[in-house]
Amino acid sequence: MNDRRSELEAAPWSGRTRRYDLIKEGVAALVVVTIATVALSTLFGSPDDKQITFKEWAVAAPADFYATTVQELAGSSGTGGYGAPYNTASDGVNLGPLHLAKLMGVTHPVDTVNDFVITPLTTVVNSGPVADALKQWQSSDSKTQAAWATNYDNALTKANQDATKVPSGNYGPVPQLSGGLLSMAQAGSLDGALLSQGNYFQSDNTKQTLFMGDGSYFNDQSTASNLQGSTWGMMNETGRYPGQAWLWLYSFWYQIPPFNNGDSHPFGANADAWIMVIMGALSLGLIIMPLIPGVRSLPYKIKIHRLVWKNYYQEENL
Amino acid sequence: MNLKAVYIHIGWFQMSVTNLIIVIGMVVLFGLALTLPFPGNSKGNKKGKGRK
Repeated sequence: MNDRRSELEAAPWSGRTRRYDLIKEGVAALVVVTIATVALSTLFGSPDDKQITFKEWAVAAPADFYATTVQELAGSSGTGGYGAPYNTASDGVNLGPLHLAKLMGVTHPVDTVNDFVITPLTTVVNSGPVADALKQWQSSDSKTQAAWATNYDNALTKANQDATKVPSGNYGPVPQLSGGLLSMAQAGSLDGALLSQGNYFQSDNTKQTLFMGDGSYFNDQSTASNLQGSTWGMMNETGRYPGQAWLWLYSFWYQIPPFNNGDSHPFGANADAWIMVIMGALSLGLIIMPLIPGVRSLPYKIKIHRLVWKNYYQEENL
Repeated sequence: MNLKAVYIHIGWFQMSVTNLIIVIGMVVLFGLALTLPFPGNSKGNKKGKGRK
């Protein structure tokens, strides 16, 4: 069998031949694709929606910003309880006994109290009450700080995020600190303060994105633009611009049970991990398709190649 | 293009009209590529025809 195969492979081609200018074909394809790419991206390229800033958030939804700041101080925000790679607050998503994020460890530590609230406040000249609150906070132990913040966070939640309706209690300087950060954000100083943490040249926006993502304002913008995962958001763009239609299969899994219920265990709550595995398996299947019996024979049964080279098959009466 | 997008929503399926137009366009283009004769390769064109 192998001898026959080698013999056939070594034999000179005895079928038809035709002239083919590969360079001409390549140049024509390059020119057409370049013109199409430039024209289509000019017409339909991704929209440059105005960036959402902390100033915009704090001015448009001050109660939401204020409540989010309190949550950051109490550690009850989404980031505060996320786990790896930001902290050790939870185990993160898992595939059975395999905790993927936890395995990788805390590679990008984020301390919501200091990174989001205290450190930014120390970069500006604060009013008397805020400066005093900052001193009181910094001179207290972490247990007391946590108790103040948790007390106020719970009270604010009970008051439906209306700070004017929060009864008096043991909140320490938390209301003043949160109010101070709100004023700072409304003045436009927080964006720069959050960005300037770290290296001289800063290109890491993780902290801003996490802080903003903890509030409702940013989330509401996503919902309004159909960008949430539950509404095929992966495929969409803002406005009427074309989105990433090729991500349909990845997005599809998030729409069906059990992955569309974030509360169901083990699949819904760990949908990101399971869908990554499914897509990985499907991608692997695509790569090794020529090795899978049955699947690799599909082209012979579908016969699309006969459509592509229909002239040849007609002329040869095949 | 900055107007509010229009979506087709049937049960769990949802797609923007823009994306749908693109998907249909891709399928039509694929169909045309399969069925239309390649330029210069039509029957009777000796230049494009090979030789035995």
